[in-house]
Amino acid sequence: MTVGNSTPTSAAFLSTLKRDLLIAYRRKNDVVNPFMFFFIVVSLFPIAISPDADKLGEIAAGVLWIAALLAGMLSMDSLFRADYEDGSLEQLLLSPHPLYFMVLAKNISHWLVSGLPVVLVSPVLAYMLNLPAESYMTLFLTLLLGTPVLSLLGSIGVALTVGLGSRGLILAVITLPMNVPVLITGTLAVQQTLNGATLAFYLAILGAMLLASIALAPLASAAALRISVN
Amino acid sequence: MWLWFSKLGSPKWFYELSGRWLPWLVAAMFAFLFVGVVWALLFVPQDYQQGLTNRIFYVHVPVASISLAFFPLMAIAGTITLVWKMKLADIVVKTAAPLGAWFTAFALASGSIWGIDTWGTWWIWDGRLTSLLFQFFLLIGVVSLRSALEDSDAAAKACALLSIVGCINVVVIKYSVDWWNTLHQPGTDFVLSSNKANGPDIWVPLVLMIGAVYLFFAVSMIMSTRNEILERERRSQWVEELVDNL
Repeated sequence: MTVGNSTPTSAAFLSTLKRDLLIAYRRKNDVVNPFMFFFIVVSLFPIAISPDADKLGEIAAGVLWIAALLAGMLSMDSLFRADYEDGSLEQLLLSPHPLYFMVLAKNISHWLVSGLPVVLVSPVLAYMLNLPAESYMTLFLTLLLGTPVLSLLGSIGVALTVGLGSRGLILAVITLPMNVPVLITGTLAVQQTLNGATLAFYLAILGAMLLASIALAPLASAAALRISVN
Repeated sequence: MWLWFSKLGSPKWFYELSGRWLPWLVAAMFAFLFVGVVWALLFVPQDYQQGLTNRIFYVHVPVASISLAFFPLMAIAGTITLVWKMKLADIVVKTAAPLGAWFTAFALASGSIWGIDTWGTWWIWDGRLTSLLFQFFLLIGVVSLRSALEDSDAAAKACALLSIVGCINVVVIKYSVDWWNTLHQPGTDFVLSSNKANGPDIWVPLVLMIGAVYLFFAVSMIMSTRNEILERERRSQWVEELVDNL
């Protein structure tokens, strides 16, 4: 391919990553909101179900997983939207570098900004929900491996609907069912390690899901972006 | 081979060919359905445990098995849409999604009716049921994406892509959900045996009913595809001639 100034793809990848992180740093609301959303949703469960510590301990892992999943999905909306509106997404599509890496860079920065804080705070919320102490590590590690998968899968749905005016609900209808395998593995890991199963088994499955979605999901997102932006 | 393939892409050619097939398919469907229903509901010996309830087996199994075919069908048609931009393939993706949702809903409903009598509950969060429920959600996702995107070319490609992603997803969901929780009996390897327990009395009507439901699937797919063809080609000359000759 003939490129005027031949920047290597790795440089383009890093500069996309840097640019997105810088934008997030300057618009702190986008960083704080998913995190606060996660916190608030989790706090609603003791109110709606019961403040009883035993009951909460039973549902804690599921509640945290669902809250993380919803926070991730709602924050996905900002993944391509601003770039689509100001035209920089088209520039990204026109760039000579493989779109796969650009989408991956955007996914990584998005997860660092909205996924990682949720994962980091999860042990605190797990404590508040009275999750058994020996499960903190399980929950933390499964969320660490699982939330990037949720982001990668969600970005396919976001890319498909980026051109739509209002798309809050359609995004949920498309992407939430796809998250089932991750949700199952994450919550089973917490339950089964309490019964004596080895954590490594579940981490291996989540790791495999993560690698498979790193390899495939950006391809689908890139194809979807080319369809949505013409 | 390639001539045949490119002909298949022409909506007009498909419309004429399917118009010739349709009466035969409908006749065969009613024949299978009539013999199958009468045999299954009136003459099959009653199950010694489940009594009359067991007869819903002859409806539930064919419907549930065909409902699993929709995502592969849509993924194949979607791939053809993306690679060869064949008009007919997109029409198949479009008509299969709502039809698949209906078949899936009917499989869930008939299973539920069977479940209340044998398991004592309308619904359980069992692997099979849950994965079929999520297949229903994914199909609804394809339908709503189609209706949300106004530009028909972008909608065609987007739905094709979502069908492919969804097809992979349905498989992963199925295995993960089975691993999560399962009560449903495992799929039986279908053997045409002549022994007492599963003799021809039991399986011949099942084969007839499977034939009837598959034919119903084919007939409904073809009919909705023909409708969609007429709607999309309404400005073309052959459709106008067709309407004038009515």
